[in-house]
Amino acid sequence: MIILDFERIWPSVPYILGGVQITLAYTLISLCLGFLCGALLALCSVSEMRPFKVFSSFYASVFRGTPVLLQLTLIYYATPQLVGYNISVWEAGILSFTLNSAAYLSEHFRAGIEAVDKGQKEAALSLGIPYYLMMKDIILPQAIRNSLPSFVNEAICLLKESALISVIGGADILRRATIVANEKYIFFEPLLIAGALYYILVMILALFGKFLEQKLKQS
Amino acid sequence: MIRLENIHKSFGGQIVLRGVSGEISQGEVLAIIGPSGSGKSTLLRSINLLAPPSSGKIYVDGMWINDGKTDPGQVRTKMGMVFQQFNLFDHMTTLENVIYAPINVKKMPRKEAEKLGMELLEKMGLEEKASTYPRHLSGGQKQRAAIARALAMEPQLLLFDEPTSALDPEMVKEVLMVMKELAQTGMTMIVVTHEMGFAREVADHIWFMDEGRLIENSLSADFFASPQTERARKFLENVL
Repeated sequence: MIILDFERIWPSVPYILGGVQITLAYTLISLCLGFLCGALLALCSVSEMRPFKVFSSFYASVFRGTPVLLQLTLIYYATPQLVGYNISVWEAGILSFTLNSAAYLSEHFRAGIEAVDKGQKEAALSLGIPYYLMMKDIILPQAIRNSLPSFVNEAICLLKESALISVIGGADILRRATIVANEKYIFFEPLLIAGALYYILVMILALFGKFLEQKLKQS
Repeated sequence: MIRLENIHKSFGGQIVLRGVSGEISQGEVLAIIGPSGSGKSTLLRSINLLAPPSSGKIYVDGMWINDGKTDPGQVRTKMGMVFQQFNLFDHMTTLENVIYAPINVKKMPRKEAEKLGMELLEKMGLEEKASTYPRHLSGGQKQRAAIARALAMEPQLLLFDEPTSALDPEMVKEVLMVMKELAQTGMTMIVVTHEMGFAREVADHIWFMDEGRLIENSLSADFFASPQTERARKFLENVL
C-alpha cells in the first residue's frame, strides 16, 4: 500500500511553486523569440531565392532531426570551448529552446502561408503592392490565423520540454522537486506535485488555445 | 493604349497562347470571349504581367513593359484587376480593402484615402458596408467592393477576369450594371466574360479566342450579327 506523506514536504511546496515562474519564463520567452525566428525562416522557405529556401529547410531538418536534450547540452558545454564565452544556464536554455521551437514554428508558419488562397497574392500584386508589404499586411496575418492552433500545440510541447533545463541545473519546477526529494529522501510526493503543476499549466494553455480558436471562428 | 505583339505563353509543357496580337485604344470596352481553355484569362493576366508572356511584346502607352527591366508593380498601379473569385482581403473591412493600396502604394494621406474610399463605396451602393468584413457580404457585394478597390488606385485601365462567373444568377445583374456604368464614364475596360448579353450591349470590340489564338477581332455589332469564322458561329449558336 502506498502511503502519501505530504506533511514532511509541506514547507518545501512554496519552493517548488517558485519553479513555475522559471518554467514559464523559459517557455514564453523562447516561444516569442522562436515565433519571430520561425516567421523569418518561413519567409525564407516560401521565397523564390534558392539559397534561402535551402537554408531554411536544412535548419529545420537539423533541429527537428536531433534530440532537444542534445542541442541543449551541446550549446551549454560546447560554447565555452568553442567561442570562449562562459554561457549561463539561462542563456543556454533560452537559446536552445528558441532555436528548436523556431524550427517547428517555421514549418507551421509555412503551412499557414501556403494555406492562404493564392488569389490574395494575385490581388495584392494587381494593386502594385510591393512584396514585403504584401507579406506583412496581407499574407502573414492570414497565415498566423491559419496556424494558431498549431502554435498553441507548440507552446504545450515547449512547456514540457523546458523541464530538460533541470539537466544543466536550471531551477525550474522539475529541478526544484528533485532537490526537495533528495533533501528529504521522499521521492513520490514532490514529483507528484511537479507533475500536477505541469498538468495544470498545460491545461491552462490548452484552454487558452480553445478560446483563441473560438474567437477566430467568430471574427 | 495597349498593344500586344505576338504573345506566346506556355506553362510547363502546355502551350496556352500561340501568338496573339491586337490593340486596345483609350476609352474602349473590349470583351474577350471564347470557349473554356482558349487562353482568355491567361491573355488578360499577361497584360498586367501576373502571367508574363513567354515571348512577344506588350506596349502600354507606347512603352514596352515586359522588357524585363520595367517594374511590374509600376505597371500594375496603372491597371486595376477584378477577379472571378473577388479576392478581397478577408482580414480587412470593406473600406480597408479599398484604401489599403492608395495609402501604402500611392502614399495618399489616410484622410484623403478614406474620403475617396467612401465615395467609391457610395458609387457601388456599399456605403453601409464600409466597416463590414468580406465574409458578411453577398457575392455581388463582394464583387462591387472589389471593383471599388481596383478603382481606388485611379487606374487608366480595368481588367475583368470573368467577373460574374462565380456569382449566383441573381447577383450577376447588379455587377453588370456597375460595369456598364463604368463603361459609360469612358473607362477603358478589357472584360473576359461568358455574358454574351453584356458583350453585345456594352463592348465596342470583341476578341474571339480559340485554342490560344485570336481568331476573330471585330466590332461588337458585326460579330454578333455575322461572325466571320465557322468556329465563332458555332460558339454563338451554342451559347445564345
